[in-house]
Amino acid sequence: MERVPLERKVLSENDRIAGELRARFAQRGILVLNFISSPGSGKTALLERTLEAFPKGTRVAVLTGDIQTDNDAQRLARYGFPVRQITTAGACHLDARMIERGLEGWDLDQLDLLLIENVGNLVCPTSYDLGERAKIVVLSVTEGEDKPLKYPGIFHKAELMILNKIDLLPYVPFKAELARECANRVHPGIEILEVSCTTGAGLDVWQAWLEERRRAS
Amino acid sequence: MHEMGIASSVIESVLAEAARHPGARVTKVGLRIGELAGVDQASLTFCFEALVKETELESAILAIEDAGCDELDLTYLEMEE
Repeated sequence: MERVPLERKVLSENDRIAGELRARFAQRGILVLNFISSPGSGKTALLERTLEAFPKGTRVAVLTGDIQTDNDAQRLARYGFPVRQITTAGACHLDARMIERGLEGWDLDQLDLLLIENVGNLVCPTSYDLGERAKIVVLSVTEGEDKPLKYPGIFHKAELMILNKIDLLPYVPFKAELARECANRVHPGIEILEVSCTTGAGLDVWQAWLEERRRAS
Repeated sequence: MHEMGIASSVIESVLAEAARHPGARVTKVGLRIGELAGVDQASLTFCFEALVKETELESAILAIEDAGCDELDLTYLEMEE
């Protein structure tokens, strides 16, 4: 019996492509953000509000992933910025190759912000590096406060947690403080913003976060 | 359910390595999986076994070592002449 040591990442091919993408983005100073959440927590709504607030001519584009339909791309295209749907046909996450293909034909020199909306899923997208600068996890108050404990991977890796639908807090048993505590247990010091994409509450703070990151890249 | 994709990636890497050892048969594949990797070990094993059935890797078993963070590494191969 012979044992051959390997010590390499299982997803090394994905990581290789993601590394190439990251280099292309860095070269052009493009800030790339990967939005991850469970289905229905409001990723698309957050992106709608975000695009809506940008002045015309903002150098932003969106890639949005879903298993089926281009509904999200249609919603997001209304704001006049380049949007492309990636339909994964069954796959529960985006991978780096899908991003590489999704960017084909776009002039990256015309961009300084790329928003990637991952497939609604708190588990699988966590494993796949897309070449992004940061992962952002969206949680909504109609879910459980203990989601960070149940799905620690993404809350551990995300740089920012956006707690959405806070306009519903008076009507649901969700305790925001407990959710913060759970997130901090998995990722001490994780940045947390509270927003409502329906009323607009907290979106100014989110936009300021985004502006600061854009200036830094 | 991305364990099928993970299993395919494992198999791709194993086949590439095995090709460098002609005549050897892979008997064990060492993996290190962190608790934050988002990979279910039972499901990964199921997918791996389904994919290697009736292939040159049929006799290979997965040996999974737990880890504390988000590791998802291929650590070693065991082969027999």
